[in-house]
Amino acid sequence: MPKLEIKRSFLARFIPGLASLTKRGSAGWMTIIGSGIVLSMVLMTVLGPWFSPYDPTAINVSPPPNPSPPSGDFPLGTNLLGQDMLSRILCGGSVMIQVALLSVLFCFIIGVPVGLLASYAGGMIDRISTLVMDSFYAFPGLVLAIAIAAMMGRGVVNMALSIAVVYVPSYFRMVRSQVLTIKELPYTEAARATGAKGQTVLLRYILPNVVPSIVVVATVNFADAILTAAGLTFVGLGVGIDVPDWGWDLTQGRQLLPSGSWWVITFPGIMILLLALGFTLVGEGLSELLTPRLER
Amino acid sequence: MDLRSYIVARVLLMIPMIFLLLSIVFLIVRVVPGDPVLLHFEKKASEEAMAEMRRELRLDQPLHVQYFEYLAGLLRGDLGKSMAPGRDSISQHIFSAFPATLELALFSILIAVGIGILLGVRASTSYNSVQDHVIRVFGTVIYAIPVFFLGMILLLVFSIYLKWFPAGGRIKPLMEPEGLTFYFSKPAGGFVQVFTWSFPVGLISWAISLVALKRKAIKFWPKGLLISLLVLSAGWIVYAYFAWHLMFRGGLHITGLYTIDSLLDGNVVKFVEAVRYLFLPSLTLGLMLSGVFIRLTRSNMLETLRLDFVTAARARGLKESSVVYGYALRNAFLPILTMMGLQFAMLLGGAILTETTFSWPGLGRYLVDRISFRDYTAIQGAVIFFGILVAVVNLVVDILYAYLDPRIRF
Amino acid sequence: MKKVKNSRKAVSTTMAIVAIVIIVIVVIAGIYAYQTYLAPPRKELIMGTTDSVESAIDPSRAWDFFGWEIIQNTGCTLVEIKPGSSATAEDFEPALATDWTLSADKITWTFTLREGVEFADGTEFNASHVKYSFDRAMGINHPEGMPLGSEFDTIIDSVEVVSKYVVEFNLVQPFGPFLALLSCQACAIVNPEYAGGWKTDWSEDDVVYYEEGDVRASHTMDLGPYNLVDWTRVAGKDNEMRLEANPNYWNRDADGGLPKTEVVIIKFYADATALRLAIEAGDIDVAFRHISATDIEDLQDDPDVKVWEGVGAAIQYMIFQEDPVGTLPQLNNAKIRRALTACLNRSEVCSTVFLNQMSPLYSILPDGMLGHTEAFAELGDANLTYAISELADLGYSETNKLEIELYYESSGHYPSSAEQAAVYKSQFEASGVVDVTLKSLDWPSYREARSEGTMHIYLYGWYPDYIDPDNYAFLYYAVWLNHHYIENGEHYAEMKAAYDDARASSVESERIDLYAEIDDYAVMDCPVVPIWQGAAWAVTKPNIKGVYLDITQTWRIWLLYEES
Repeated sequence: MPKLEIKRSFLARFIPGLASLTKRGSAGWMTIIGSGIVLSMVLMTVLGPWFSPYDPTAINVSPPPNPSPPSGDFPLGTNLLGQDMLSRILCGGSVMIQVALLSVLFCFIIGVPVGLLASYAGGMIDRISTLVMDSFYAFPGLVLAIAIAAMMGRGVVNMALSIAVVYVPSYFRMVRSQVLTIKELPYTEAARATGAKGQTVLLRYILPNVVPSIVVVATVNFADAILTAAGLTFVGLGVGIDVPDWGWDLTQGRQLLPSGSWWVITFPGIMILLLALGFTLVGEGLSELLTPRLER
Repeated sequence: MDLRSYIVARVLLMIPMIFLLLSIVFLIVRVVPGDPVLLHFEKKASEEAMAEMRRELRLDQPLHVQYFEYLAGLLRGDLGKSMAPGRDSISQHIFSAFPATLELALFSILIAVGIGILLGVRASTSYNSVQDHVIRVFGTVIYAIPVFFLGMILLLVFSIYLKWFPAGGRIKPLMEPEGLTFYFSKPAGGFVQVFTWSFPVGLISWAISLVALKRKAIKFWPKGLLISLLVLSAGWIVYAYFAWHLMFRGGLHITGLYTIDSLLDGNVVKFVEAVRYLFLPSLTLGLMLSGVFIRLTRSNMLETLRLDFVTAARARGLKESSVVYGYALRNAFLPILTMMGLQFAMLLGGAILTETTFSWPGLGRYLVDRISFRDYTAIQGAVIFFGILVAVVNLVVDILYAYLDPRIRF
Repeated sequence: MKKVKNSRKAVSTTMAIVAIVIIVIVVIAGIYAYQTYLAPPRKELIMGTTDSVESAIDPSRAWDFFGWEIIQNTGCTLVEIKPGSSATAEDFEPALATDWTLSADKITWTFTLREGVEFADGTEFNASHVKYSFDRAMGINHPEGMPLGSEFDTIIDSVEVVSKYVVEFNLVQPFGPFLALLSCQACAIVNPEYAGGWKTDWSEDDVVYYEEGDVRASHTMDLGPYNLVDWTRVAGKDNEMRLEANPNYWNRDADGGLPKTEVVIIKFYADATALRLAIEAGDIDVAFRHISATDIEDLQDDPDVKVWEGVGAAIQYMIFQEDPVGTLPQLNNAKIRRALTACLNRSEVCSTVFLNQMSPLYSILPDGMLGHTEAFAELGDANLTYAISELADLGYSETNKLEIELYYESSGHYPSSAEQAAVYKSQFEASGVVDVTLKSLDWPSYREARSEGTMHIYLYGWYPDYIDPDNYAFLYYAVWLNHHYIENGEHYAEMKAAYDDARASSVESERIDLYAEIDDYAVMDCPVVPIWQGAAWAVTKPNIKGVYLDITQTWRIWLLYEES
């Protein structure tokens, strides 16, 4: 039954379609544009391998000298190895998206239950977990992520884990503050008064009300996770050369800057920017839509 | 709760947090699979050589002993020894890299707040107009740009195509401001230098003591004079100690901030050079942070501009600019101050990437550099330093905020 | 009334701010112009580099390129190699030794030393300093041995003082390249006062490392053309060095006065990009080491700088791990190694990754070195038919591919490792019967994985310690590479015998034959495959003269000068 509850409150605000979103002012538009960007990026990355004109990892598809500027055959130019930048752009989102997805998933799995339990249980458990989470939260995120990623070594999962560690506290704090409010609401009180067990109250009455806020945090965190993943790649903690990746292209492109090869960095940079922007827009839009505030 | 007990409570709360942070970092560095010592030999090392290295770095001790030694070391400000050949002191490394990061951070905060307030106020005064929307979009987009991408674009445009600014490093060769050593390098200049600078230092400490005395309502004569003279001499002794210390360490600057040191040298050419090198990195970082400040200023200004006293000021017929900047902005400034504290962590994260983009020789580059050397002790030291720095800055901002806005301590 | 007052106040505040800003700008501009006008013209030569001292400026410990450069410029050896030569037997010149003889049994070398040479503190250099320097270098017995590959105690038995100016080296066995060894930086003479004092019990603690704020205590060198008078580091990285002419340099009067430039500043840059932009902007006069291939190509068209190309002694090679641990494929089979070697296309790597600034290498001995051959050309470049047929014999086909892991180093220790690896992967896979997984590790982990023997196939590079084929040929089976050729190699015994013979011989023609023989065995077994040879590049302002980029890889700062 709890599942149904979630569906009702959660989807009831979501599904009624774009038409209603357009009526919600700038927040609605932000959500629409943002999800448009995100969806097309994801679609592009998934379908990229079928559409890309060349194999993104094949070298010297363009005859030397490389890197060569955008031209008819290679609309986005080529990089030092003579790889086609257009193909790399089309296929290169998978690393970022995977890392972001995984890290949000990890955050979700850790942050939400811990937040729910701690805040519902209260007392010592709550205080200790809040303290631990606060000390993580106060830490400069990228520094922590870099340190952890450096210790764990390369790979998508390791990157996602190191990013997750940084963002778990945001979930925890959000869940906790929500639970503390909801716990005091008459409707929860009433449920408890009618003899509902703690577990039932938590799952059936509290969780469904927390979900919208979690969704907002998750979307905003997507953007942060993408930027952090790009940052990790930039300091040399990304995945290797054989997977097309915007972050890698951007990082390697730095060496080609002095010779004026602007196309090597510009396109991957814009792609990362767009992806992060899409999630930011969705996050901001949703936060205005889902967390009702007093209108001015 | 009065201010004093608020501060005490806040500091007390920070102790377990820092303690936790230290333990977390200690653990992170020690969960590495494999033996870190193995990584630091050119050839396959003999057992004795590895044992020797473990001994030097105290890695042969049991974990709890290492932990307590590490905490004890931190109390002395000792972050241990680097694993690199020579086993340098990590505190020394961080001490020499920190001024560069500090300078970058200060200038980029200035730029961020400057841009943030300017655009934020613009947006709020032209609410819902095209200008407002453009500024809002700018604020959102700038937040989503990977900071190193922004840096590379600025670098490409301003230093590679236009050649207006240098592309990396902190200053030209031979242009490093000499700071104190400038005076010390002259024969018998040392004493003169210490005396010259000790006067302003002493005077400032005297002035502070006088103000403090006035607040406490102690009569100037004779007790007050005595105390202020004591403060004066204490200030002088502290200064002289540092001056001599620096002199014997050799090559160190007064502040380590090149823009300030060059002015203290009285060398404007070096000052201009320092600013030229600083400009692009701090602009990059400042732009990245400005998004948050724009949004914050805008929403706060929107709220403030509706308040009665603003309406009253307008009704009195004050010029719009002085209403906005003189009345409303002053009122909206407190949240901006808090945000400066909160953004400090983000600033340091951005600084790591910016420093790498512009080869800026600060702490961020140090951390990245040590990572590729697998210098675990140095990574631990740098991460701890970052963590404590952020904690302290947040503490100071919280206290400042509490001091300025009594509503929050209850 | 009030309104007027307030707006006037607002206006005057704005005006005051504008006025202050203008005044500040004018004052700064004025002082700037004045101080620029007053500044004396620069006398120093400024050199920029991305290298740094990785270990110490101490011959008993230094193994890194830049540490050796500073040793070379601030210290002196018994013999030197003539600048611009190709380091043949005739090119050895007297330095601290004026004359030398070799005994009939080729075991004892006797050197007559130069008289009247003084250390910076006025002590006169004599035979005891030579004995001291070598005893110290051998006695410190660092865990990593003496500079890689040249383990002194396998060559030198003892150093004896015969008289004040005569010193005798007793060797363990006849050693052909002894003069080459003596001219290398590890054999520089140190000043006992700064190297641990006169004593005989040496330990690793006696290695002299960088000392914050005390440059003289940071290095052991003396007697060279320059004195190191300033050396600053920021956060453990070199920041700036200052070299000033050594007034006591023994050869100070040669060639119109040496060093050619009184003061040289060395500025350290974080990366190749920054270095390139610094030379372009004119911040530095000389940029030496590590300008990337694309940048060199660009700068060659730039009339404001001069690009110097020299002989490179650095080589890159690929190693096959022959000790199959766990899941490793059977790389201990020479047939597979030969097939994989045949897949490689060296000129494609050189042109794609290095824009032809490196050249293909078919022998472990670089071009320009005695004994260089084209042996590996026998297997061909991208000789896929051969590779496919060899692999087919072993049962590998398009449906049953040979699966290998190729490792590269990811922290910039070798130039463009990742790009190289991508190219090799595509070359192996072009055969259609090989499936390559690329893996990367940062340099320390890479080095450890090498010692552990966990990498299937990996890239490695080599810089010579002393300029002689002896310092290259052993790479085919080097113990520290840990690729287990010694146990598995079919022709290892013959190869090693040829190497030992070549080492003992001092007859050039004989040595050339022996090294050719070694290369031939290597082609049969392919334990290590040479891929490319680097070139040395320097970029200077057009009026800088005295750049020598010869096979010795010695960067002679003392010969650099600015032509007015």
